[in-house]
Amino acid sequence: MELQLTPAEQAFLHDKKVWVEAHLPKDISDKIHAGHRLHKDDMQRWAQILGKQGWLGAAWPTQFGGPGWNAVERFLFDEACALAGSPRIIPFGPVMVAPVIMAFGNAEQQQRFLPGIASGDVWWCQGYSEPGSGSDLASLKTKAVKGVDAKGEHYIVNGQKTWTTLGQHAEWGFFLVRTSSEGKPQTGISFLLIDMKTPGITVRPILTLDGEHEVNEVWLDNVRVPADQLIGQENQGWTIAKYLLNHERANIADVNRSKRELERLKRLAKQVPNGEQDGHATALWEDFRFRDQVVALDVDIQALEMLVLRVLAAERDGKKSGVEASMLKIRGSEIQQRLSELMMQAAGTYSLPFRYEANEQGWTGDVVGAAEYSPLAGTYFNYRKTSIYGGSNEIQKNIISQQLLAV
Amino acid sequence: MNFDYSEEQTMLRDSVKRYVADTYGFEARKAIVAAGGFSATVWGDLAELGVLGLTVPADAGGSEMGVQEAMVVLEELGRGIVLEPVAALSLMPVAILSHALAGNGFADLLGGIADGSKRVAVAYVEHGARYHLSHCSTTATANGAAWTLTGSKGVVTCADTCDAFIVPAMTPQGLSLFLVDTKAAGATNTIKVTGYPTQDGGRAGELHLNKAAGTLIGAAGKGMALLQHGINTLIAANCAEAIGCMEALCDMTADYLNTRKQFATEIGKFQALRHRLVDMRLELELARGMSWKAAIVMSDANMSPAEQNATVSAAKIATGKAMRIVGQGAVQLHGGIAVTLEYSAGHYFKRLTALEMMAGDTNHHLGLLAA
Repeated sequence: MELQLTPAEQAFLHDKKVWVEAHLPKDISDKIHAGHRLHKDDMQRWAQILGKQGWLGAAWPTQFGGPGWNAVERFLFDEACALAGSPRIIPFGPVMVAPVIMAFGNAEQQQRFLPGIASGDVWWCQGYSEPGSGSDLASLKTKAVKGVDAKGEHYIVNGQKTWTTLGQHAEWGFFLVRTSSEGKPQTGISFLLIDMKTPGITVRPILTLDGEHEVNEVWLDNVRVPADQLIGQENQGWTIAKYLLNHERANIADVNRSKRELERLKRLAKQVPNGEQDGHATALWEDFRFRDQVVALDVDIQALEMLVLRVLAAERDGKKSGVEASMLKIRGSEIQQRLSELMMQAAGTYSLPFRYEANEQGWTGDVVGAAEYSPLAGTYFNYRKTSIYGGSNEIQKNIISQQLLAV
Repeated sequence: MNFDYSEEQTMLRDSVKRYVADTYGFEARKAIVAAGGFSATVWGDLAELGVLGLTVPADAGGSEMGVQEAMVVLEELGRGIVLEPVAALSLMPVAILSHALAGNGFADLLGGIADGSKRVAVAYVEHGARYHLSHCSTTATANGAAWTLTGSKGVVTCADTCDAFIVPAMTPQGLSLFLVDTKAAGATNTIKVTGYPTQDGGRAGELHLNKAAGTLIGAAGKGMALLQHGINTLIAANCAEAIGCMEALCDMTADYLNTRKQFATEIGKFQALRHRLVDMRLELELARGMSWKAAIVMSDANMSPAEQNATVSAAKIATGKAMRIVGQGAVQLHGGIAVTLEYSAGHYFKRLTALEMMAGDTNHHLGLLAA
């Protein structure tokens, strides 16, 4: 066993850190380090910088213009980005739909859609969940009926999707739709690419507990989708969706960002005043009750990182991961939630003022500590989503228990 | 031993329950949040119901009931996540003013609190102090019998709707409490108040004093005991509010598990979800007992301040644990819908989160008990 990176991996990490340092705009990384609000422009600017370098699709194979990195290299690249304070890649295009188009799309679809995704120019969104189909995704009801008109073969789509993240910015979306009601629910689903400007599509905001517009409802009312935007075969959608879910599992733990946020938590605890001791002003960090909780979380993050590295090494070497790969999402989400909770607790009563405008970079208000404190409670509320989305942690435990048990 | 409500307490509970059910629905509450987090109309209603004068002495125009009756009311207000802060703007200042000494010249003010015409908040939070009440950088200087105060207080409940503040300040004799009247002559030059909404939909603000005139409450240097009594009253009330809030949230979650279907069955059939609901309810019932204990101890004049402090801290710790388990559990069991502003469960979760961080969080009270 060997924990050290190989010299080649070390050099790779060093190169990527140098590159990120030179290319990540400081106004964006400042927002990330402070937890301030990101706008479309911030996210897309970073995507386009990566796109120009050919690294937005970090997991793409070389034949599609990707860098051809292995699992460990991808992780190291993510580490360089995350620790420097880069925004998360909006995954819907480069991480989610692109691998599907590569594996199941035809050559024409690949030429049509992949360049816009690789460059970061085209914003994609996801149409999976429905109000009645959350954990039980296969029960989805949005209906697509095949037909022919003067302009050719097409589907007419009707239904309602929900939890469409950042769909308000999207130019394209990938949707799971029902094309057959025969047999098991899973066998009648198809995977469609839909231009979000098509008549009949309405995107309605759903505000999250922090007051932010992050997710949406998408209504589809007689939306005409050309048949050449079907990916794979009709009724193959469930297989495609499962392929997508199993893709790139190592980064689901988001351990690099948690490492960065742990440092932010420590900075915060060292800044927050905590009365005085023996006549001297002290900081929260000197309170062992709080510090112990931070240290315990630090250890949890180290343990998660080891789990991630095991999964990565197996993936790099072409071995099959065991039950540990399915555990990444559970512990990763718990750690993100705990980090947000401790940061809010650090600010204490001063995390309670709510000023939407205070989460804007550069806001100067008259609330004590607003710049550091104002995003904290909102992030805590918002991050309850991490144990719900992408298959709730209860669903994840069901999957793991199936691997552990025979009954 | 008897843990039943008296007939009087039951009537009180029913009248508040009816008011909340009739007038404080989700949409009505949303409108108050949008308007800044405090409704003067609701405040007037609460005065009329007798809620604001519950613990005010009879000769000052109140009904002179005890802490236990106040808890009965707070539980019902919590059930409806009523934004108007009865604990902070009535129970706590009344506890301090009437505890200071009887017939002390604050009768008019107490009467004003009872009839809703005066709003008084206790400005006890300072940034440098975190939760430590003894740390106070606001100072008061005597000039004959007159005092002036200088310093800043933060996250003061409904600051910009208040007529007066009870302000802890340091004097040569030690920590003392002062009444600062925002309507006093010259106050516009010496008192600055800001206002903002809070994370739970309510309202707070900052109070900046620059040589502001203050009236001493009680004796100089004797403020700590008074403040502690006020804080204990606030915490006991917050615990009672949390109980009502958690009970509503547990019921709401049970309803959801009974009706939401996935995989062609009610999700309440899934054992993992059933057990989590039980964990929530278990913590709620444990916290309920501790909340009662705090109310009983606070209403017992034979209890020493030290005994009261210890019981209140214990109640805060038990309730804090329950608030987290119930709040987080309810969101998880509801799924994404409870992470939105469109459904009430998330608003309950936010209120519980705020209650946990007021007047000392769990860590702080553990520290007090362990000291």
